Formats: sequence, structure tokens, C-alpha cells
Amino acid sequence: MELFDIVFYVFALITLGSACVVVFSKNIVHAAFSLLFTFFGVAGIYVLLRADFLAVTQILIYVGGILVLMLFGVMLTNKVINVKIKTGTMQAWPAGIAVSILAGLLAGVFYSNWKDAQLPASTVDATTHLLGEMLMTSYLLPFEIASVVLLVALIGAALIARRNR
Amino acid sequence: MPEQLLGDITKFLPEITLTVMFLVAICADLMFRKSPQIVAGITLTGLILSGAFVLNQSGMNESIFGNMIAVDPFAVFFKVIILMSAIFVIVFSLSSVELQTASRRLGEYYSLLGGLALGMMLMAGASNLLMMYLAIELSSVSSYILAGFTKEAPDSSEASLKYVIYGGLSSGLMLYGISIIYGLTGSLDIYEINHVLAQGSVSGSALAIAGILTLVGFGYKISAVPFHFWTPDVYEGSPITITAFLSVASKAGGFAVMIRFFKGVFIDPSATHLPEGMWASLSGFEWYHVVAAISVVTMTLGNLVALWQDNMKRLLAYSSIAHAGYMLMGVVVLSNEGLAAILVYFMVYLFMNLGAFYIVMVIANKTGSEDVEDYKGIGKRAPFLGVALTVFLISLTGLPPTAGFIGKLYLFAALLNSGWIWLAIVGALNSVISLYYYAKVLRNMYLRSEASEKKTEMIDIPRVQVATVLVLLVPVIALGLYFTPLVEMAQASVKMFGSP
Repeated sequence: MELFDIVFYVFALITLGSACVVVFSKNIVHAAFSLLFTFFGVAGIYVLLRADFLAVTQILIYVGGILVLMLFGVMLTNKVINVKIKTGTMQAWPAGIAVSILAGLLAGVFYSNWKDAQLPASTVDATTHLLGEMLMTSYLLPFEIASVVLLVALIGAALIARRNR
Repeated sequence: MPEQLLGDITKFLPEITLTVMFLVAICADLMFRKSPQIVAGITLTGLILSGAFVLNQSGMNESIFGNMIAVDPFAVFFKVIILMSAIFVIVFSLSSVELQTASRRLGEYYSLLGGLALGMMLMAGASNLLMMYLAIELSSVSSYILAGFTKEAPDSSEASLKYVIYGGLSSGLMLYGISIIYGLTGSLDIYEINHVLAQGSVSGSALAIAGILTLVGFGYKISAVPFHFWTPDVYEGSPITITAFLSVASKAGGFAVMIRFFKGVFIDPSATHLPEGMWASLSGFEWYHVVAAISVVTMTLGNLVALWQDNMKRLLAYSSIAHAGYMLMGVVVLSNEGLAAILVYFMVYLFMNLGAFYIVMVIANKTGSEDVEDYKGIGKRAPFLGVALTVFLISLTGLPPTAGFIGKLYLFAALLNSGWIWLAIVGALNSVISLYYYAKVLRNMYLRSEASEKKTEMIDIPRVQVATVLVLLVPVIALGLYFTPLVEMAQASVKMFGSP
């Protein structure tokens, strides 16, 4: 077992362990907080795979944006409607059967031969430069369309949330 | 590369026009809050200009922006359908009473319609999985907002919320499928994926799972069973103009992107019958069996559930599910003949379905009801509307001499020519079932009269609305009698970039 493997298993353990807390915790605030560690674990695996830009994005967007938003949501709604939000298990049997079928299928997928991708040589290059160049050349169109999607979503959010005057 | 990109811009003019008009419409909305007609005018101009550029593209067969978008006859045909229905829907919206309840927001309504049309246009051409996803997302996000536009009506908010939840789930599953495909083949470009798959080193079962997960996203867009659960509620709760648009253009975009995905990714380039227009699927994942099964359940469930509906919007929603099932039969046969049949069907479907929805809207404008029971005596109170709705419904059933018959005829011919006899029989039986619920509406209109004396006065309709109905009605009859040009156009439009 090399150092690479040990580090991978540590991060994998953090990710899976905290993800289990997210799913099984009855307290929704605890669940939201342990999601933080899940995101960090995934970011660690990205770093290990030399996807530095992806790792930073993961932390900025998921931890910095989405998680904080979720916590705000949980705390504010708790106060407003004065109901303790709890998560419970409903329909355990059908859900269990569906999940195990899906897990079996995915296990089949993971044992098939994937397209080999060689890890880059040991010198660590920053990927940000390459990504930036790709966004302005071969992925120019998706980049621009993504901005239109965001604009539509913004207008829509304003339209739905706005009070009638 | 930059020179290449600059050159590609000239081949992307329809979409650029729509984007610019979308932005102009947003700014105009801020300046002229009081008169949303200005924004409607701007969006309409954008759509017509864009349509002119699309017609200019006929005969082109290229791939632009590094294989992100294909500009080929197939895409052009669907773009024409999408733009035509968008133009009709804007005209419908101008005379809708329902929308006036939210007149302060109408400017945004028209500009978002432009955004929605842009998303669908991109769906028609997308030839890269990333681009397909983004195009689907753009059209979905705009439709969520428009479905909940009359948010004061409780069922409108409910429709929007249900739409968002189902949409989020299915695009999540689709992304998962796309990521597995990327892992197996190392590419997002459909031509490149096809190239890797043709070498035969990819495991069939993994590919099948990825393909089915991706199919969820497409199935959701065309509202095929079992991804249809959102359809009845969204169609009933949305403003009727949006319902009409979703039932035609959204399905057109979904079909375009789905056919391009399956044909582009899974076609066997070494198949022997390619020149005669029969294509074969690569071995490993027999996706057309999955599509055939979906087609059968979609039309059967759509038609059977429609039997119990007593709201016109809901009835037409289930009927549109059934029509998606008929059109899926054309995908199953793996031939250019089947594709041409789908294109013919779509053009016909555009007129008959928009027409039926428009008449439901005009009647709801006057009577305030979409209930089938309230159609009693409409045949006498509004003779013109009654006759027009009769023609549209007969066409939806697929009886001669209307255009709906031609659509079904070509579909069934394609099925029989390639030996899918059992599927053709299921389709024919379904058409018979559909006659029952369409006829229920006709019976209410003509054979039953309103019990109370109050509701017997004539309904008079403004001239503009009569003209709009006529514009939709004439093609439904004309295409039923003289259909050669349409069929020839469809046969010329099956050509896709990258496949022979």
C-alpha cells in the first residue's frame, strides 16, 4: 500500500462516514453540518487526482454557497413556522428495494472496462490555465449558453418571489 | 481556432438573433412597464427574423463550434416547427383573458417565451452531450417559470413546483447517465462516442444502464410513460398558452435531441443497408426494444386515462402523451422512412394541437370554464368554433380527410415496411380508443343542450380570433388533401450531419 492509497482511503472514509450521518441523522441541522465533511472529503479526492481547479470550485460553490444557503434555509424556516423539522424514514421497504436494485446495477457498471485515463506525470501542473483556454475555444458555446441559463433562472426567481404591487 | 469560431458565428445567426432579442426584450420591459405589448412585439420580431435566418440555412449540412451544434436539414425542420409554434403562442397570448390577471408581469412572460424558444432551438441542433444537457436545462428552467406564471391561481403554483421537482430528478438521472457514457468512451461528442463504441470494447450492460439513464431526461421532455407524471398537473395548472406551447414545441425539441442522440451514438457505421435508408444499431445495447416498450405503454396509458377526464386541458394533456407514444413508433423502426414519418406527423400535430388548445382558450375566455360538461350546446352557441374544434379533434383521432390521417398513415406504413406488425396493430387499436374521448367532446357540443335557459345566448368572437383559428384550420384540411410537398420536405429533412 503506497502513500497515495492510504490518503485516498482516508478521504474516502471521511466522505462515506459523513454521508452516512447525513442520511441517517434525525436532526436536520446535524445532517447539514456533516454534509460539510462530505464536501471536504470529495474535494480532497479531487486534489489527489490532480484536479486542483475542481477541488477549489467544490469548496467555493458547495461549501461556501450551497451549504450555507441550506443552513440558512433550515434555521430560518425553523424560526418562522415554529415547527421542529425532523427527518424520518418513510416507506422503508420500497425505498430499500429500489436502492438495492440500483446499487446492484451500478456495481455492474463499475466492473466494466472504463476508458483508461493516465494520470499526468509526477510534475504537478496547474489545470486552471488549460481550463480557461478550453472555455474560450472548444467549449465557448456551452460557456455562453450557461450564462443565458443563469440569466433566465435569475429573472424567474425574481418573478416568482416578487410581491404584487 | 479563433478564426474557425468567428466563421461559425454566421451559421449560428438564428440563435444569436433570439438571444439578442431576449436581452432587448428584458431591457424594454424595464422601460415600458405599462405596455407589455411592446415586449410582445419585440419577441415576435425576433422570432420572425430568426425564422428567416433558419430558412436561409436550408441545405446546409455542417457542424459548428467544435461539433457542439449541427446545422443540418434535420435541425432546420425542427427549428421551423419550434419557431412557428412560438409565433402562434405569442399571438394566442395577446388575446388571452387569463393572462391579464397578471398584467404587471406580462413583459417578463413574453421575454421568457423568447428564452424558452432559444432553449428548444438549441435542443434541435445539439450534437454534444454537454450542449444537449444545457439546452434541455435552458428550456426546462424557462418552462418552470412560465408554468407558474399566474401564481395567484393555486394550481398554477402547484404545477410549477411539480414541474421543478420532476425536472430536477430526471435531469439528475440524465447527467448520471451522461457521466457514465463519458467514463466508458472518454468523450462527450456524439460522433466520437460512436467511433469508440464501433470498436466494440465497451461493455454492453454498462452502456445499457447509461443509455437508459440518459433516456430518462429525454422521456421527461417528451412526457413518455413512465416519466410523464408531471404532465397532467402541469398542463392543467399552467396558463393555456403555455400548455399549448409545451405540448408542441417542447415535445419537438425533446424528439429532436433524442433522435439525434440515439442515431448519432448507436448507429452502426458498417451496416450494409445505410444507402437505402435502413440503419442498424450497434450490438451491445438494443435500445430500440426499450423505446418500443415505452412507446406501447405511453400511447396505451395516455389514451386509457384520457377516457376518464372531464377537464379539456387534462384531456388534451393525456391525448398529447398518447401522441408522443405514436411518434415514438417512428423511432423504433430504425429507418429514414420512420424519421420522415415523425417529421410529417410533427408538422400536422403542430396545427391540430395548437388549434384545439386555442379554441379551448377562446371558449374559456368567454365562459370561464374548461370543463367538458360546460361544452354542452357550444355547437349552437358558437357554430364556427364548434365546427373548427370538430375538425381539430377528428384530425387528432387520425380520420380522413384531415391531416392527422396523413400523419398516422405514414407512421403505420413505415412500421409495416420494416416488419413491426404487432406495434402497428397496437397503434391502430389505440387510435380507436382515442376516438371515444374525442367524440365525447363532440357529443357534448352538438347532441346535448344546456339544461338552464341562461346559457343559450350566442358567443360572439372577435374577428382577429376567427382569423387565427382559420390560419390553423386551413392547413389541417389542406394537408389532408394535398400532402405531397410536406412529405417531400420531410423526406429531404431526415439528413443529419455525420451520418450517411
